[in-house]
Amino acid sequence: MKRIRLFFPELKRLLKSRLTWLIVLLTVISPITGLILYKPATASTMLSMYLANPAIAGGVVGGVLFGVLTVYELDRSNRSRVNVLMDAVVSPLSMALIRLTALIASALITLALTILIWLSISWWRIGSVFSGVDYVLAYVLMMGLALPLSILAAAAFYQFTRRLDLSFVLFAAFAGLSLTVWAGNWQLCWLNPCVWALSDDFSNFRIFRSVTYMRLTWLVALSGIWSLSYLCIRRYGKDLFRSLIWNVRRICRPIIALLLVICSGIAYAAQPMVDHSNPDQTVMSFYEVPYAQDVVCTNRSAQVLPDTAAGTVSGKAAYQFQNTSGTEQTIAFGINPGYTVSSVQANGVNIPFTVSDYQEYNEAMLETSIPAEEQVELVIEYRGFPQEDYNMSALQGSAEISKTYVCLQNASLSPRLMNVLPDEGMYPTTIEITLPDSMMVIPFGSGKAEILAKNNDGTATWQYESNGTGGILYAGDYIRENIETDGMTIEFYYGRRHQDVMESAGAVDAVKSVVAYCTEHYGTLSFGSGDTLKLIQSRVSGGGYATDGASLLDEADFTASNLGDGSKGTVAGEVMIHELVHQWWGLGNMFDSSDDTNPWSAEGLTVYTTYRIVKELYGESYAQENYVKQWQQEVDDYYLNYYVRHPEALEMLPSDKQLEITGNLSYVRQYCEMPLKILKAQQLVGGEEAMDQILHDLFNRELDPAYPYLTYQEFLDACGLTEEDLNLD
Amino acid sequence: MIRIFQYECKRLLWNKFFFGILLILLFYGWQVLNGVTILGVSHTAPFSPWSFGDYLSRMIPLLWIGALFFLTFFTSQKAQRVTILTNATPVPIKQYTFARCAAAFAGTGLLCLACLIEAAVFYGQYFGWYRWGQLLFPALITFIPPLIFALGSGWLLGKYKSWLIYLWMLIPFLCMTLPLPNAFGIWNGSFFKEYPLSIETMDPSFTLPITVIIVQCILVILGIVLLVLDPRFLKKMAVK
Repeated sequence: MKRIRLFFPELKRLLKSRLTWLIVLLTVISPITGLILYKPATASTMLSMYLANPAIAGGVVGGVLFGVLTVYELDRSNRSRVNVLMDAVVSPLSMALIRLTALIASALITLALTILIWLSISWWRIGSVFSGVDYVLAYVLMMGLALPLSILAAAAFYQFTRRLDLSFVLFAAFAGLSLTVWAGNWQLCWLNPCVWALSDDFSNFRIFRSVTYMRLTWLVALSGIWSLSYLCIRRYGKDLFRSLIWNVRRICRPIIALLLVICSGIAYAAQPMVDHSNPDQTVMSFYEVPYAQDVVCTNRSAQVLPDTAAGTVSGKAAYQFQNTSGTEQTIAFGINPGYTVSSVQANGVNIPFTVSDYQEYNEAMLETSIPAEEQVELVIEYRGFPQEDYNMSALQGSAEISKTYVCLQNASLSPRLMNVLPDEGMYPTTIEITLPDSMMVIPFGSGKAEILAKNNDGTATWQYESNGTGGILYAGDYIRENIETDGMTIEFYYGRRHQDVMESAGAVDAVKSVVAYCTEHYGTLSFGSGDTLKLIQSRVSGGGYATDGASLLDEADFTASNLGDGSKGTVAGEVMIHELVHQWWGLGNMFDSSDDTNPWSAEGLTVYTTYRIVKELYGESYAQENYVKQWQQEVDDYYLNYYVRHPEALEMLPSDKQLEITGNLSYVRQYCEMPLKILKAQQLVGGEEAMDQILHDLFNRELDPAYPYLTYQEFLDACGLTEEDLNLD
Repeated sequence: MIRIFQYECKRLLWNKFFFGILLILLFYGWQVLNGVTILGVSHTAPFSPWSFGDYLSRMIPLLWIGALFFLTFFTSQKAQRVTILTNATPVPIKQYTFARCAAAFAGTGLLCLACLIEAAVFYGQYFGWYRWGQLLFPALITFIPPLIFALGSGWLLGKYKSWLIYLWMLIPFLCMTLPLPNAFGIWNGSFFKEYPLSIETMDPSFTLPITVIIVQCILVILGIVLLVLDPRFLKKMAVK
């Protein structure tokens, strides 16, 4: 009771200080630095630029200021030489607790003021895609929680050292590490969370969960460190160790402190957001699992139940196998490492299974043995929180599951069959998914989803057929627009909140112009499912992908800020262009993708064609500046890199550093070096028209069914060039 | 004089602050070496003078704070309360000031030395590289001018108003966020990243453009001038 009684006078005293109000004022205006100086969220969505950046910058500046205020306030009685008197009146332990809570209360007042003041500014800047939920969550999580963390850290440093100078240096180093060396590590950057993008059109709960987890881990860790420092508060004129011995006499204190530190360690190590995928992305051992002998998959189905409130998924996948080997066979599946498999049944009988600790490309391997029966139905039940790939941990947010957006890819949708061949070249698949009835389900591919049943709990069950071992599914509050162009129908799906922007940007015309360009230059596309192509707008993801009959469009392609960018002419959407072009160049059946490190891949021709379209749409100078110069820069950087020139030095480094350095090796060669070579080939064959004719002929060539892939040699032969001709200077 | 210097050194170095900041610097430095320097800067080796210089420029903000905190031993209100006594001693005030600044400089120098030894250990451990002589010039040109300037300016400011020294600690952080001219590149770390690229040769040897040398020399001179400048001059200026 005494502590509560003292809390209010302490808070009042704190709020009477001019320094406190100066810091409150500076913190309230600090989000402005996120609009001018410090922009960690690099995406061009409105929420990234006008919400994430100001909130993170506010957290950084406010955190540092409150850290300084904390040290200054804790040192006050010492500095004024009244500590002996103070200690005689109130226990220094009680006073430390009261001061801490008063400082945190003042930080909360500051946060409330900041949220109120920046509401109208953010609303005005963000425009029609402003969302109150995103706004409050961004400020509370990205800015607000930085303040108590800083206060706890600074207070702990002071209580350990009891020196103003040393506490400042410790706090500066701790904040400096977060802002520099730890900035790319999503768990360590305690002051500036790893947020690279917020979506305008869909929800952002996955990235908010990640930030919350990081903040809470640090909150527990710093509470533990603060509790340890609490035990070091000097008593009765004793030094640190004697005070510590005196303070630990109440055994609950050190136990609480140690428990908090241990809990934070466990929370750090057992984080549920990101898996432990092999950082060496050249290793693809899951694709080398030997096929089960004399076993084929005749059918598979899955019933998937995403929990849009909790962001989790539960499901039941069934597989029909024909086992003519007469023996037990081991079947392997790839499953999202965040899922727990509750049971595996073969023909209705529970059978043992194992899930590997080794993970690769966001999958763990589930292995089980099917009995020596000719017909086997294998049923797998799984549930859990889908984890994202460790190698993309600084770019989290893609595994979003909410009432407005769901994206489930391959092993996150249902266990992906690894080592069983299909029956007659097909894996007939039926997927059922139950989601809120406001959502539209869009399979990424040629399949068409239909509502199977509307349930009484406000959900609807959708069903679609597909073919393959994996599969990708998008669902959300989408609008569909049918575009008829060059004899094909494009089903264009985009978020409802994005409708105004899409219409203002002339997105439909942009799609038409890309299709018209490719059809005119290379020939018409043909799809297995009635000349229909899906173009789906995804949540901001920094890129896209394509498959037979479907391409992705990144939300960042068409944003309100892009519309105001005069350099991009009348059309935006370069990711959309790239992924649409993949319908002509790529999609597995055109390029042999067995060697991921081979510079000749679908990306080379696709990036080159994207450059040509961009050149036509935005003008030569834009294309030269944003494509050719950037390719050249990347290639130059690659070949000048010290470790590329001195591989013997690379071998001296620890393996994680080696992987970090070689990580973008295939990226530069496929996405930058190969387009440059094709550009050089264009010059050597006589210009753009000649190259277009060559590519047209290659696209419409007669395929060899035994090896239908377009090889680099075929390309060189068509150009009448040799490999040496295309060597870059 | 030497005894005063020794006494002041003992005051500065044989205390919690020195050992505390030493530990902090070593931890921070190891993080920088392992996270950033190991990748090499501007296509050069991690042990090139450029990468080494980048490491040093990342350490400057903490060393700057450390140097200024050393000065607070002499400029704080608590220290100034005993000035009447020290001024009454037969030692000339200027000599006494010189001994104190020399002690602060020695303390800062030891911290710098710790950073250099840490880098040497890192290079030896990871790359078996021991040609430290090549790194002497970058170390001198990167560390000495800003730290002399820190001591000179901090001394003057601290004598004028002791709290100004705390504000002065923010200067390197401010420099890191501002787009400074190339001549001040060492201050925000951009010099070691950008200048070797502008030379356009592979693994360029360590050279400095004349503007950077001038700025660093000015800093040294300015630091020394500010050290010898009478703080009463500032007060007079403020009154005017």
